[in-house]
Amino acid sequence: MKDRAEVVIIGAGINGCALAYELAKRGKDVVVLEKHYICYGATGRCGAGIRQQWATKENALLAKKSVEIFERLSEELGYDIGLRQGGYLIAIHDEEEMRQAKKNVEMQRSIGLPVKIISPDEIKEIAPILDPEGMEAIAATFCPTDGHANPFKTTYAYARAAKKLGAKIYKFTEVKDIKVKDGKVEEVVTNRGKIKTKYVVNAAGAWSKEIAKMVGINMPNKPVRKEALVTEPIERLFDCMVISFKHGIYFSQQEEGQILGGIPSPEEKIGYYTEPTFSFLKHMAYMLGKYAPPLKHINILRQWTGFYDVTPDALPILGETNIEGFIQCNGFSGHGFMIAPMVAKLLAQLICQEKLDMPIDRLSMERFKGKITKEKAVVG
Amino acid sequence: MRIIEHPIIEFKRGRKIHFYYNGKKLEAYEGETIAAALYANGIKILSKSLRKGRPRGFFCGIGKCSSCLMKVNGIPNVRTCITLIKEGDVVEDNDMVLPEKEYPECKFTKLNTDIAIVGGGPAGLSAAIEAADYANVLLIDENHRLGGQLIKQTHKFFGSKKEKAGTRGIEIAKELEDEVRKKNIKILLNTSVIGYYDRGYHFLVAVDKMNRTVYEIKAGKIIFATGAQENMLLFDGNDLPGVYGAGGVQTLMNVYGVKPGNVGLIVGAGNVGLILAYQLLQADVEVACIVEAMPKIGGYFVHAAKIRRCGVPIYTGHSIKKAYGNEHVEGAIIAKLDEKWNFIEGSEKDIKCDFICLAVGLSPTIRLIAQTGADILFINEAGGWVALHNEYMETTKPGIYVAGDLANIEEASTAMLEGKIAGLHAVIEFAKNDKTKIMEKIKEYMEDLEIFRQGYFGIRPKIAKEKIWRKYHEKMGNRRNS
Repeated sequence: MKDRAEVVIIGAGINGCALAYELAKRGKDVVVLEKHYICYGATGRCGAGIRQQWATKENALLAKKSVEIFERLSEELGYDIGLRQGGYLIAIHDEEEMRQAKKNVEMQRSIGLPVKIISPDEIKEIAPILDPEGMEAIAATFCPTDGHANPFKTTYAYARAAKKLGAKIYKFTEVKDIKVKDGKVEEVVTNRGKIKTKYVVNAAGAWSKEIAKMVGINMPNKPVRKEALVTEPIERLFDCMVISFKHGIYFSQQEEGQILGGIPSPEEKIGYYTEPTFSFLKHMAYMLGKYAPPLKHINILRQWTGFYDVTPDALPILGETNIEGFIQCNGFSGHGFMIAPMVAKLLAQLICQEKLDMPIDRLSMERFKGKITKEKAVVG
Repeated sequence: MRIIEHPIIEFKRGRKIHFYYNGKKLEAYEGETIAAALYANGIKILSKSLRKGRPRGFFCGIGKCSSCLMKVNGIPNVRTCITLIKEGDVVEDNDMVLPEKEYPECKFTKLNTDIAIVGGGPAGLSAAIEAADYANVLLIDENHRLGGQLIKQTHKFFGSKKEKAGTRGIEIAKELEDEVRKKNIKILLNTSVIGYYDRGYHFLVAVDKMNRTVYEIKAGKIIFATGAQENMLLFDGNDLPGVYGAGGVQTLMNVYGVKPGNVGLIVGAGNVGLILAYQLLQADVEVACIVEAMPKIGGYFVHAAKIRRCGVPIYTGHSIKKAYGNEHVEGAIIAKLDEKWNFIEGSEKDIKCDFICLAVGLSPTIRLIAQTGADILFINEAGGWVALHNEYMETTKPGIYVAGDLANIEEASTAMLEGKIAGLHAVIEFAKNDKTKIMEKIKEYMEDLEIFRQGYFGIRPKIAKEKIWRKYHEKMGNRRNS
C-alpha cells in the first residue's frame, strides 16, 4: 500500500469513486480506502433512481447538472452505465400536495427542467399498468429526463476510469484513525498501514459520522435502516420511476424486467441495524398491488436493507470544515447516487482550487447553527 | 418415452387427463409434474435464456435451478418441475406477459410451534420423528410429497441394519413417511419457506401457492434440512437441452417413469454416476459411457463392476469437452486429461448420445440458513458453503439447527442420523423428565455416525465435519471471550 497521497478518499461508493475519477483527471494523486468492497454500502443497495424534481433549488440544480453528466458518462468513461431516461412520475394525492407541486414545478421549470403536471388519464397513458384510483392520485408531476442507471456499473465505470488515470483503490482497508496536527489533517491510519496526506474526503456514507469523530467533528447525521426488494423479471411494462411522497413508495422496472422498489418500513429503525423485516415485505407487496394491480401475479425474488445517511434537513453535507484538509462528502439522505456526478465535480474543483460551477457554501455543516429548511421531496 | 415395465418400480399412474401445450392437446397422468408430462410427450425445450434466448431444458428437476420456468394458466415463471399437472392446464412458452385476470385474495395464517423443520427428506423426516415425542412439530416441504430425494433411490442402501441397510431408498422414504404420519406432526406440503426473520424469536414465512395461503410461523427452534443442489460443469454447450443433472434424470425416470432419452453419457464415476448408469440400464436406456476426470473410479467397486459387466465403458482420466446438437444434445466430444487437467490434443472421441448426465457433485442449498445469520463458511470437503455447527447440529445462531446434505454433502444414511440428533437436541428443553434418556439416545446416534464415517468413503465427510466443528467452537469461543 502507498504511504503517501495528495488526497485520501474514505469510502468506495458512487461518490468516493466519482470523486477519485474527477481528481485523477485533474492530475491529483488519489487513494480510495474502502472497508469492504466497491458498492458495499448504500450505492449497491439503492433504488438506482435519477431524479431532478426536488423541492429545494440546491438539490434540483445539483440533480440537473448531474443528469447532464450522466447523459454522456458511458462515453466519457468508456463503459455502459445502463442509463435509462423514462422519467419520474410523482403522485399528487390531495390539494395540499397539489399546491406544493405547483410551487415545485414553477421552480423546476425556472431552472430549465421539462416538468409538467399531468391528469390521471395521462398517468395511465405514460404507464398503463398504474391504477390512479389505487394510487389515490388526483394528478402527478412528470419529468421525462429523469430516469435510472445501474449503480454497480456506474460506480465500477468511475472506479475503472480513475484507476486508469493512476488512482489507487484499496479494498478491505479500514480507517482506524486520522491524525491532525496544528488544525490540519496529516495522516490516515488503516488496518494495513499509514498514509500521509493533505486532504481527507469523508465519503463513508452512513459511517461518515464515525469517521468525522476521528478528527473531533460531531455530525448530526443518523444512519436509518431502509429496505428494498426486487421481483422476478417480466415483460417491459413501463419506463418511468413511480414515487409518492405521501406513501413514501418508489419503484421502477429495471433493464431485464425486474421491478425494484422500496417504501418506509413499519419497523424503520435508527442505528446500524441490518436485518430485513417481513413487515416491510408485506407492506411493499400490498402497496405495489394498489399502485399496479397486475404485479400481484409475480414473485418477489429478494429483499435487503441499506442505510440512508440522513441529515436534519435531508440535504447533503459538502465541502470544507474547521479542520484544514478534511472535506465532507456525505449526508446524502437517500439520494447520493443521483447527484454524485456533479458533487464529485464540485469537490474536485474545490480541492484543486478551481472556480466552482455552482456555490456549495450553503451545504456546509455551518447551516445547522441557524434555522434549517428541510427538503420535503423525500421517499423510501 | 414412458416406462411401462421396470424390474424394481411399479409405476402407479393416476387418472389420464389432458392439457394444452402452446395450443396443442396432450395427454398426461394425474400425480405427475408439468415438466414430466411435457417430457413424456417429447417436449424437451422448456424455456429460453434471459439475455440470449438460448433454448433451455430442465436441469435439477427438484425446483432449485429455475431452467424450467414456463407460463401456466396465464401465470409466468412457474417452476414446472415441481408443479403438478391438472386437467385442462394451459402450458405455454414463458413470454413473461402478466395475465389480465384478477388476482384472488390470499389468506394469512399464523402458526406457533415448538419445532419447525424445513425440508421433508431423510434428515427432516428423521428429525420430525424424534422430536415429535417431546414437542409440537411442524414439517414443511415445497414438494407435493414427502421423502426428499429418497423417492428416486431405487438401489439398496449400504451400512448397518439400523440405518436401514439392504433397503431401497424408495422403501425407506415410505417407512419414514408412515412413521411421521402416525405421530402428531403438522405437515405442510406444496409450501415454500420464503424467509427467515429474527424478531427476537425465530420467525418463518412460508407460502402455499396452490391454496393461496401465507403462513407466518413463530418457532421455538428451527431445523433446516434443505438438502443440496447439483453442480454444473463448465464445457462448450453445457446449456443445451439434454444436459441434465444426474439427480434430475433419476427424478424423471424413477419417480415419474419417463425415459430421459435413448442413449446417455454420464460425467462422473462417483456413486451417483455409477448407480444412475445401472438405473438407466434397468429402464432399458442405453449408456454410451461414463467419463471420470480422476485417474480412478470414485464410487464403490461393486457398483463399477456391475456396470462394466453390462458392457458400459468407464473412461477414467477423461472429461467432456463439448456437447453439440441443434437445440438438443446429439452427441458429445470427450477427451483425455493430462496431469494438469488440460485436454490432450488428438485424444478426442465423438460419442453419439441424446442426453448427458452430470454427476459431478452437489452443493449445500444454503439460501435459507444464510438468512438466519448463522455463520457460513466455504469448506471444500463439505461441498462448498456450509453453516458451521456443533456435534449436536446446532449452528452459531442459538436454536437454529442444520442436518443432512445442507450440513455437509454426505449420504442419506448419515442425513437420517444427523436429523435424529438435531431433532432430539432441539427438544431437550421441552422434555421435562427425559433429559438423560434423550442424551443417551443422542450419544448412541453419534456413535453410529462415527462408525459410518470410518470406512474409505467416510474420509472426506469426516475431514469436513471436523473442520466445521472446529470452526464452530472457535467462533463460539471467541464470542464468549469478547
